Amino acid sequence: MAKVSTSGFQKGMFILFRGEITQIVSFQHVNPGKGSAFVRTKLRNLKTGNAIEFTYKSGEQAEQIPVFVKELQYLYKEGSHFVFMDNQSYEQISLGDAIIGDFGRFMKEGEIYQVYMHNENGLGLRFPKKVKLKVTEADEAVKGNTVSGAKKMVVVETGAKVAVPLFIKTGEVISVDPETGEYVERVNE
Amino acid sequence: MDWRNWQIREEIIWQIRNHFRSKGFKEAETPLIRPTLIPESYLEVFTTKLMDRNRQEKEMYLITSPEASLKKLLSAGFGNCFEITKVFRNTETDSDTHQPEFTMLEWYRVGSNYLKIMSDCVELFNYLWRSLTEKKLVTAPADGTFKYAGKSINFKQPWLKISVSEALEKFADINFNDITHKDGKDSLTRFPAAKLAAVCVKKGYKVTADNSWEELFNQVYLNEIEPRLNLKVPVIIYDFPQPMAALAKLKKEDHRLAERFELYIGGLELADCYSELTDWREQQTRFEEETKLRKKAGKTDVVWDREFIEALKSGLPDCAGVALGIDRTAMLFADCTNIRDVLLFPFA
Repeated sequence: MAKVSTSGFQKGMFILFRGEITQIVSFQHVNPGKGSAFVRTKLRNLKTGNAIEFTYKSGEQAEQIPVFVKELQYLYKEGSHFVFMDNQSYEQISLGDAIIGDFGRFMKEGEIYQVYMHNENGLGLRFPKKVKLKVTEADEAVKGNTVSGAKKMVVVETGAKVAVPLFIKTGEVISVDPETGEYVERVNE
Repeated sequence: MDWRNWQIREEIIWQIRNHFRSKGFKEAETPLIRPTLIPESYLEVFTTKLMDRNRQEKEMYLITSPEASLKKLLSAGFGNCFEITKVFRNTETDSDTHQPEFTMLEWYRVGSNYLKIMSDCVELFNYLWRSLTEKKLVTAPADGTFKYAGKSINFKQPWLKISVSEALEKFADINFNDITHKDGKDSLTRFPAAKLAAVCVKKGYKVTADNSWEELFNQVYLNEIEPRLNLKVPVIIYDFPQPMAALAKLKKEDHRLAERFELYIGGLELADCYSELTDWREQQTRFEEETKLRKKAGKTDVVWDREFIEALKSGLPDCAGVALGIDRTAMLFADCTNIRDVLLFPFA
């Protein structure tokens, strides 16, 4: 396994933390009052989905998990697992709830997603920057409610609820930031 | 940036001046560009060049703190004083709590020690809290609570004071005596890296032969102690191991510990205080050690401040001093978790 020093840390990178595969969610540099430099990280344990906070000595090495990206079709959800298929080999790979996290509520059956692979195992999803979703249920905006920044909840095609501006109507397509689950814009098609 | 954050910051600086002047402290103004610095192994510096009229160059540094100049003033009889100044620390980027250029308040009390500065801090923060709430810049109920990062903090209840060795025992299950030698002759024998390394390995940390005692200790501190200091009341953690106290006076009864404290509010490290080291021989030895450590760490070679040692020789009065981050104080009262949100022109 390749070693990576803290100076090579990147958001989204997979590293081994105390024997378990984790993904770097975020990191920042810290210097205690009187002392050397350190790197404070937030990691996600891919088995349990738990968040871990750990502070590395600056320059400390971690084992990096080598990964490659494969395009797979999302088939269906079975219990707590999302099942994907490789359209060339018909091989199937499943990813747990812990790995997919909140993004699962925006996933559409039949769509192609990019999956991080380590050997034959799927480690995680490479989230698209935005996901386009059709609004299936939206209440009419209340007349006279012109407060800027006012939001309402709508239901999108995957069943997820999203807070959107009042002008969004049923049947329109919106784009959502998969990391935060927040509305980005209305998509004109 | 939210303009309210700037109003809060402006008010804090204004009220700090009011507070110290009303207590009879003199305000000092010391240089930012200096030909020498205090060697501190953990800080990287900005270097620049001074040119004379013939364009002859001389290397200069931007200060990392006003401490050297202020202590020279104290040796000359300046008396109780404070300064609000910009300070510069290179390489401190990519962080939500550090900036390479930031604003610091330092104040010094003559004939005093770190215990008095602890009560100064309680007084100052209560004063700032009152001023900001009176001006309605911070909304807070009269019981002294206010919110920071979603947590409620109370200023009026007694602050928690805990020593580093108590915290080590309580939060990290380490006995200070097990990782040090009380009777060691010098700092290397008092703080054997191998002893602490064994404890760290057991805890699952990665340890290499070139890790110093300080690095190992701080990793335990940052992982197991600091996250526990985010409490409902401000926390003063005191009596730090000597390797973490370059300019602090050692405790008379235990030379492993220095009279230093840090103030945490809402998990933010806000202030760092020492009973100041006045013994010039001891100071010179520590400077030599720090210079060696700088070299080992590949840091910029700095010309160290011999004038400062001369000032100590001429007699620095017994005193205590503290450095408080103004930006972080503004973060606290403006309820920001990112330092960039309290600066008009932050570094990215």
